[in-house]
Amino acid sequence: MTNLSTPKNLLTWDKGVVLFLVISIFIGSFASEYFATASNLSFVIASIAEIAIIAIAMAYLIIAGEIDLSVASIMALTSASVGYAFQAGVAFELAVVIGLVVGLLAGLFNGVLVTVFGLPSLAVTIATLALFRGLCWVLLENKPVNQLPREWIDLGNKNIPGTFFPWATILVVLLAGTAWFVLHHTKLGRWVFAIGTNADASRFSGIPVNSVKLGLFAFTGLMSAVAGVVYTLRFASASPDGGTGYELSVIAAVLFGGVAIAGGVGTMWGVLAAVLSLGVIKSGLQLAGFSANALLIVSGGLLLISVILPRVTEFVRVHRSKASTIKRTQ
Amino acid sequence: MRALGRLIRVREVPVLLGLVIVFVGTGLLNPIFFSVSILNDILFGVAIVATLAIAQTFVIVMRHIDLSVGSVVGFTSFLIGDLSSKGFSLGAVLLAALLVGASVGAVNGFLVAYLGLPSLVVTLATLYIVRGIFNEVGKGQTIVESMVPEELNWLGLNRLFGISYLFIIVLVLMVFAGFLMHRTRAARDLYAIGSNPSAAGLVGIPVKLRVLLAFTSTGAISGLAGAVMLARFNSSSTQSGLGLELLVIAACVVGGVSIAGGTGSVFGAVSGAVLLQTILMAIGALGIPQFWQLAVNGTLIIAAIGLDRYLSTRVKSSNIMGASS
Repeated sequence: MTNLSTPKNLLTWDKGVVLFLVISIFIGSFASEYFATASNLSFVIASIAEIAIIAIAMAYLIIAGEIDLSVASIMALTSASVGYAFQAGVAFELAVVIGLVVGLLAGLFNGVLVTVFGLPSLAVTIATLALFRGLCWVLLENKPVNQLPREWIDLGNKNIPGTFFPWATILVVLLAGTAWFVLHHTKLGRWVFAIGTNADASRFSGIPVNSVKLGLFAFTGLMSAVAGVVYTLRFASASPDGGTGYELSVIAAVLFGGVAIAGGVGTMWGVLAAVLSLGVIKSGLQLAGFSANALLIVSGGLLLISVILPRVTEFVRVHRSKASTIKRTQ
Repeated sequence: MRALGRLIRVREVPVLLGLVIVFVGTGLLNPIFFSVSILNDILFGVAIVATLAIAQTFVIVMRHIDLSVGSVVGFTSFLIGDLSSKGFSLGAVLLAALLVGASVGAVNGFLVAYLGLPSLVVTLATLYIVRGIFNEVGKGQTIVESMVPEELNWLGLNRLFGISYLFIIVLVLMVFAGFLMHRTRAARDLYAIGSNPSAAGLVGIPVKLRVLLAFTSTGAISGLAGAVMLARFNSSSTQSGLGLELLVIAACVVGGVSIAGGTGSVFGAVSGAVLLQTILMAIGALGIPQFWQLAVNGTLIIAAIGLDRYLSTRVKSSNIMGASS
């Protein structure tokens, strides 16, 4: 995907996604009287919280030219670890810490395989997708842990008093805000873009490419773990098969949000708008009486459009500039 | 020692070695494992993944990937059952399955080859779209045994020389595809494209056309694999084939079909699938809880990728030495 943010192009892809979000909210409200109710909005936000948290980290990783398919398995492994530890008599607070550490270590494991051993991240994380999910089954077998402390479950299911925002909203906003600031306003953020654009050139200009990548994998692991805790509380259960297939939803949202799969291009708020849009569309389609299948087709279609459209605009621009060059030379 | 070093560089050798070790090791610990029925269970159980791995090899050697195969095979297994229960002949329903698979493959191939889109994104999108269409067409119905064409039912139940017909299909397909990939110009080009796409274009290989054809073939075979799936399970639902794509890619990688493109064979891909299936059976035979299966698979894939990396750097350094001497 090319960078469209030249002065000529006032409507960049990420702004387009925000516009798309606004339009889908409007259509949603017209399509069903239940859409804009507090309980539905609360549900929409809660249902995308985990995807949003993981997408924040995945955006960094894909911009840096890597990918992590094991995020949903890390999420489930964290959930399973929390459940296992709690069942074994550990205090729930400590169990959560253990879960987060497990997620961080899982991310580090991916990072070491990619940066130290030089293995391709796509292949590595397909392997660890299986490995981490396998460890969930080893930990819990087929016995989900359901007896979690009441006050924690309330945290995962109730709204901030007086609003329709679930408690997880605070977490998402804080994480997204920090991630936005670091990506777009710090040296580290510039490094991530540089690495994704050209890793070799970055290395020669003194950027510690491998350390940054290792850090990003660890960060992705940790964020998946945070999502795992949110997921566990929301469903009040730790089960070995939780969140299966989430990795593809996360990647679809990140790419729809304008991050280039080839690396080097993307914005944090484009990604967040994409995650929200998909949540809104899902809810709108459900309320309008469409089946879940329509959502699958729409997600796939949006994903395709998000890669095809930049090609088309690029094609048009190249031809227009060619035409103007010819005019000038005449 | 030199000969040994050369032997291990043949991509299929490590996986075959692994197969022997797992098989003999398990058999020594539990002699029941050496029985014909276990061998049959392995070959019968592996048929679907092996068929899809053969198809996937075409795209992986080009340094591409096709994630849509799980949706395609699920859809066509449903379609075959659904159409034949409505009175269509076996030939007609197989043709339909082939066409559905080939069309999805052609769309993937067109977007990747002619619009230059990344195959990971394109096939992820078609994974969703095909699954969505499948669910919409299927309407939550289930294909039950009475709707499965008799011939497929028969293929799933019977054996030739003691080998399940489903694995015979895999063998025939493997020999055919293997012959193509070793002897025909068009298929050899896929390796060149995977090794160096721009160089392949410069030496006059019609890269776009080849990519289109390879994706179409992958789709077509994956479509036909729906028949194998239906024969294997005697049933199909909208959940069929869910998540299968990752298992298929795992089989290829374990079998030495490098995700970095340019190396590997359909024989390797089938061997990789058989190894994964054998380990699954071995876990059962050794009394290890089934819950370990996925973790073991994951570890094995990491080992396979590591070995692949190690071997490819070894080959490179030996080439450089060869050139300087």
